[in-house]
Amino acid sequence: MSRIYLSSADKVEKYENHLVKVTMADGSTVEGLEPRRLFPVTNPDAYITLLDESGVEIMVIRALSDLDKASAAVIETSLSDYYLVPRILRIISKAEKYGTLRWTVETDRGICSFDIRNRNHDIHVMRSGFVRVRDANDNRYVIEDCNKLDKHSYALLIADT
Amino acid sequence: METMMKMLLKNKELPEGAVAIVKSLSESGDTALFAIVGDMSLGGRYGATTLLFTATKAVLYDESLSAPREYLYEDMEDVRAKRMYGNATLSAKMKGGKREIFFRYTYGVAPLCDAAALFISHLKEGKPFNEEYAIVSVAFEKALSVCPKCGRPLLHPGAECIMCRSKKKIVKQLSGYILPHTKTLIFCIFLSLFTTFMALVPPAITGFIVDVVFSDGESSVSLLNMIANAFKGEPKKVLTAMIILLLCTYVLQYGVGIIRSYLMRTVGNKTVAALRNDIYRKAQYLPMKFYDKTSTGSVINRISGDSSTLQQFMLRITQEAVVHLFQLVGIVVIMISMNPGLTLLSLLPIPFIVLASRFFSKKIRPLYRRIWRRWTKVSSVMADTIPCIKVVKSFTGEQRSTAVFEEKNKDWLDMELHLGKIVTAFPQIISFCVTCGSLIIWGVGGGKVIDGVGGYSAGLIVSFISYASMFYNPVTFFANLSDSFQGALASTEKILDILEAEPEIELPNSVTPDHLQGKIEFNHVSFSFDRTKKVLDDVTFTIEPGEVVGIVGTTGSGKSTLVNLLMRFYDGYSGEILVDGHNIKNFNLSGYRSQIGYVQQEPQMFSDTIFNNIAYSVPGSTVEDVMAAADTANAHGFICRQPDGYDTMLGERGVGVSGGEKQRLSIARAVLMRPSMLIFDEATAAVDSETEHLIQDAIDKLIEGKTTLMIAHRLSTLRRANRILVVDNGHIIENGTPEELMALKGKYYKLVQIQSMTADAERMRREERF
Ligand SMILES: Nc1ncnc2c1ncn2[C@@H]1O[C@H](COP(=O)(O)OP(=O)(O)O)[C@@H](O)[C@H]1O
Ligand SMILES: [Mg+2]
Repeated sequence: MSRIYLSSADKVEKYENHLVKVTMADGSTVEGLEPRRLFPVTNPDAYITLLDESGVEIMVIRALSDLDKASAAVIETSLSDYYLVPRILRIISKAEKYGTLRWTVETDRGICSFDIRNRNHDIHVMRSGFVRVRDANDNRYVIEDCNKLDKHSYALLIADT
Repeated sequence: METMMKMLLKNKELPEGAVAIVKSLSESGDTALFAIVGDMSLGGRYGATTLLFTATKAVLYDESLSAPREYLYEDMEDVRAKRMYGNATLSAKMKGGKREIFFRYTYGVAPLCDAAALFISHLKEGKPFNEEYAIVSVAFEKALSVCPKCGRPLLHPGAECIMCRSKKKIVKQLSGYILPHTKTLIFCIFLSLFTTFMALVPPAITGFIVDVVFSDGESSVSLLNMIANAFKGEPKKVLTAMIILLLCTYVLQYGVGIIRSYLMRTVGNKTVAALRNDIYRKAQYLPMKFYDKTSTGSVINRISGDSSTLQQFMLRITQEAVVHLFQLVGIVVIMISMNPGLTLLSLLPIPFIVLASRFFSKKIRPLYRRIWRRWTKVSSVMADTIPCIKVVKSFTGEQRSTAVFEEKNKDWLDMELHLGKIVTAFPQIISFCVTCGSLIIWGVGGGKVIDGVGGYSAGLIVSFISYASMFYNPVTFFANLSDSFQGALASTEKILDILEAEPEIELPNSVTPDHLQGKIEFNHVSFSFDRTKKVLDDVTFTIEPGEVVGIVGTTGSGKSTLVNLLMRFYDGYSGEILVDGHNIKNFNLSGYRSQIGYVQQEPQMFSDTIFNNIAYSVPGSTVEDVMAAADTANAHGFICRQPDGYDTMLGERGVGVSGGEKQRLSIARAVLMRPSMLIFDEATAAVDSETEHLIQDAIDKLIEGKTTLMIAHRLSTLRRANRILVVDNGHIIENGTPEELMALKGKYYKLVQIQSMTADAERMRREERF
């Protein structure tokens, strides 16, 4: 069984909410597919799989650039709906009680506060400066490049890594 | 109104806008039953939202919307709570057949929204309102069973949150390790006071020697004057007397010092041993959830390293701190009595030292933590790769794993070097200040001696310099204390993480089952490891006593998770699991588990003899019991052929016997404890068919009349099963006798078809060959 990869000849349109409808180059259509990232952390824009209602992979997009602009935009909107990973722009404050950290941060989606239960496992700093954070409720956050944070935020972050 | 707000089920205080809606609802004669206070707008931005539920409709308050939105249940079809990634939604097919999202939220309130979606669906199905409302109430109760301050789930609703408890209690907990040694410690303090006092004597004598013996002056120390008067006119004799006096003080000071150090060392070692015991014991009782998230390397590190750091610190606090405090006071008193002016001068550098220490401590504390984290990473690389050395070698990963190790080790080294600069600079700077202090005394005091100012003599300066340098000793100690305090604090944090982690939950009045009939009921059990993905979703089934149940399903469908829940390895599921009509959470944990023979897919062996490995389930078993168990498990045969028989030592993780043999040992282990229920998790998946036959035979002997759960890929393993559960993606999709499921022509039927086809093909191949 070979995998179907979408190309620029195929069209993607919005279906319902974050679901999409694909029209293949030969005119056949599939409705109600859910785009999901195969590498949500390391490579969010490549290898996007399209699952049907029961979670079976129907086709795969190698890279968003394989699609025409309109289709790529539909996929991007859908993904940003499904994957809500706020980008932390600034760490406003940090409080601590016996190992549980409470961060108040400014993200691209507004200001929020959350708890980090175990800083050893829930804050990951990659060598590139990319940071992944997981809160007590299992919500994810990222810092795209911790070296570009303001001094105050950087100091708060780095004390816990 | 007041009472109504109180009656309203809610997970948090409602935002003002939502309170207004509750009011207007009640004015129009409707009642808000429960409210889910969310944190995200429909557009996915953070903001205060609330979804209110009445008996007929849901009302959304969203501060980013101009007006509340109403959703009538009668307009909704197929209400769903969908967990996505970092957010989740409630949606329904609205009038017109289009699916519309009406609430977006983060994972924090997901369990409530799951309950709410069921509430609406069930009401629409016409289920009784009271029952549905009760289910929702339970969900809210559970949501409230998290600490209101830090959001940590509590042991039971209303329990005190361990993370938010007061510092006093932590001190109390740690002092528990010191208290048994109170007598020795107090004795040690007395010894220390004695040595401290002895240490204060020599400067007085040297001052006296300089002033009285060398230059025939006067001394303010009356005792020494008396001795001098006894030898009036013979300075040599006075000198000899002084030297003997000095010798005596030194002998006493250092002799008592030896006793004290010995006692302290003993107490220290006992404390660290007790601490280690407790951490290790606690680690044994921590739930699997803890080990899923914490690498074993870091647990080991805490038991070995952090406990001794903490112990050292506790002794410093109880001993040296007390002694140094006395020394400090003693010296200040003596110095002031000798010369208040000079005393003030020599105190000059103190504020600087204190300030410097505060400055450094702020810098050092996070660094210690970072070092610890780096070191944990280094040790977890070791704990990860060394046991898997076979995989490393077979895929020629030696260089890669070395590189990973070197990288982590370098991270650690960098951090250590970075900290090294600060830590080594600090005591040097302090010593420098101390030396400057003595310069001041020489300069000012010496000048006055030359000028012949009354009350200043050479001897005074000499003993003052000695006292001053002794004075700085405790000061540096207290300044450095922050340093070791930081180290200890970092260690305490790690240790309390284990000591105070919630162990596997044991209800206070749990029942100990002495024999289980083996009726198993799952009622609407849902479970997820990390809240992102439900591994089991609304699983309901009943198994009658004595049934042999085959559990089949694709890999990753949740079969092992199912039995893990039954074993109570994980407690955080919703719904109920009953055995013999009792909720398994009410059973005494060890009593319950000892009724179940659990054979894992990966048999795990200790590095011990075969005998002890089998007898692990029932310590103190007789030889014949163990042999009988080995017989049943078809293991006796191969054990006989080992040169060392039952005394054969297995290496770490069972090196020395084959996979199938290990599996039979683990079955023998389960047999030995005469369980009332048996669980085999793919016990024969990894062995050849000859061994499978032996194992199968062992299992057949074993399962007579006992409720047995068998997870298997090969359906041939399940020929004894009189009930089959088919698990798919966390759901039980088929449940019945093998005949029923064959008639159903569903997933099980397909599996049988596929496997008999391959079996046929294999038979044909074999026939061809012979
Ligand atoms: N300790 C764990 N932490 C997180 N996820 C897990 C854990 N164990 C299993 N899972 C996930 O749960 C699902 C079911 O696993 P499991 O019950 O072991 O499946 P199987 O049916 O093969 O025995 C899998 O998707 C797996 O990835
Ligand atoms: Mg499994």
